[in-house]
Amino acid sequence: MTAVVGAAEGPGDLQGSAARWRRRYAVDRIMRWGLPLALLVVLAPLFDMIYWIAVRALPTFTLATLTTDQVGLGGGLYAMIVGSFTLLGLATGFAAAVGIAAGMYTAEYAPPPVARWARVAGNLLAGIPAIVLGYFGYYALVLYTHWGYTTLAGGITLGVFMVPFIYRTADLAFANVPSEQREAALAMGARPGQYLTRVAWPIALPAILSGVFLAMAIGLGETAPLLYTAGWSSTPVAGLFQPTSFLTGAIWNFYDYPATEGSFQALAFQAAFLLLVLVIGLNVVVQAVAERYRRRTRGMRA
Amino acid sequence: MTEPERGGPRGSDPILSVRHLTVRAPNRTILDDVSLDFEDREVAAIIGPSGCGKTTLVRALNRMAEVAPGIRIEGSVRYRGEEIYDPAVNPVLVRQRIGMVFQRPVPFPMSIYENVAFGLRLQGIDEEELDRTVRRSLEQAGLWKELDGDVERSGLTLSGGQQQRLCIARALAVKPRILLMDEPAASLDPTATQRIEELIFDLRKEYAVILVTHNMQQAARVAERTAFFYQGRLIEYSDTHQLFENPREKLTESYVTGRFG
Repeated sequence: MTAVVGAAEGPGDLQGSAARWRRRYAVDRIMRWGLPLALLVVLAPLFDMIYWIAVRALPTFTLATLTTDQVGLGGGLYAMIVGSFTLLGLATGFAAAVGIAAGMYTAEYAPPPVARWARVAGNLLAGIPAIVLGYFGYYALVLYTHWGYTTLAGGITLGVFMVPFIYRTADLAFANVPSEQREAALAMGARPGQYLTRVAWPIALPAILSGVFLAMAIGLGETAPLLYTAGWSSTPVAGLFQPTSFLTGAIWNFYDYPATEGSFQALAFQAAFLLLVLVIGLNVVVQAVAERYRRRTRGMRA
Repeated sequence: MTEPERGGPRGSDPILSVRHLTVRAPNRTILDDVSLDFEDREVAAIIGPSGCGKTTLVRALNRMAEVAPGIRIEGSVRYRGEEIYDPAVNPVLVRQRIGMVFQRPVPFPMSIYENVAFGLRLQGIDEEELDRTVRRSLEQAGLWKELDGDVERSGLTLSGGQQQRLCIARALAVKPRILLMDEPAASLDPTATQRIEELIFDLRKEYAVILVTHNMQQAARVAERTAFFYQGRLIEYSDTHQLFENPREKLTESYVTGRFG
């Protein structure tokens, strides 16, 4: 059979129907200008916010802002920085240990129905409003324990808030290890625990780490779980069972004071600026870790 | 089928002896009452069309079949007279004696050295012994010279054929007696395939090799004995030459002459 190429088309078939072409070009123009515009609308508030905070924070932002305590109506953020990192450290320690272990169990050991429900429950926990969690922390760790406002109560409540983010990424990280790797490890005589620690763990680690850093970035910027649990203190945290201040609390507490120089309101903006820098920094770390992950497993079949 | 069909004279006791092996998945029977023997220091090929149970057979021989959920196994598999499905037997030890190489190379995401050392480290072997065994295993797998001493780079940087030989070295390092190979060359190009076949040919001097393949030429090239499976049943098991040139069963004949499969 011989192929008949273009036999039915006469002269002029390089031009086609003009009306159809006009319509296609119109669609193309909308896409070309409309889509970037949508992206601009998405990103504009971010840059506007960074600018808006920077111009209010930077004129009075000095090294002393980071190193001195709050004094009278002004002073520095030192106590809040120490408080925020203490709370974040406690929360991350708790959330990472529990979240990674639970993720490991869900991905490797849990019977399929258990794993299914655990994943649903994990997502549910991630969706609980932070303020509800904060109130729960207040009831369980401040009132019920008779501790009062403490750094420990704040750290644990913040940890509970962060757990589902770490749990989800850890579960996914282990579940995404190619099943061939598991089979090959077992066929070498590895027990499931040895497979997890020697083969799955190094493969999953970068993804788990980026989950932990992401949870830290989210936790660092969280206010609600701490308001009713950590209390407040104008001096650096003195112990786990003492109250503490924290950076987001500075914004919450000081924002509506009068805007005079060296005032509480300036502290609020400085805290906001510092938080922004820290959160962006953590996100950069997440990207770097993710990139390393891609490099490490390049050439491995999914 | 009561007794395995014997394809020629045999010397010593079989290294692996399969009797009435039946493997069931939740809704079908994958292997149906299979009995056959494998001899030490021989290559046996398992051939048959897709879905005939070849892969399940080799997975049942080192207790890997049970790793998949819902699999039920009946019958007996004896390794040098010892029942591997005895409840007192540790499947981990079975898998160390009876090594496995998969269809696609699966290097662990670690250095070449650590890949080969993996099984030994599980057993807690000392460092000096480790160095020697890693080197010897890489030599046996024909990879040592090509690496030029660079065993610290990632196993994932090797070519597909090299990765597969790395996996063979890794399996050899724990000193198995039997090597199960599930279409080890299926994902490789002809040159790499040839190297694997030459390697299998050499391995017979020290090991029993059970090779699953859908490539009949490959079976003819490397195997002393060949078993033909069809729909979960062992149809014929005999000397490779006889099976290909003068099969006893009609079904075998139609398969080896390419009439189906």
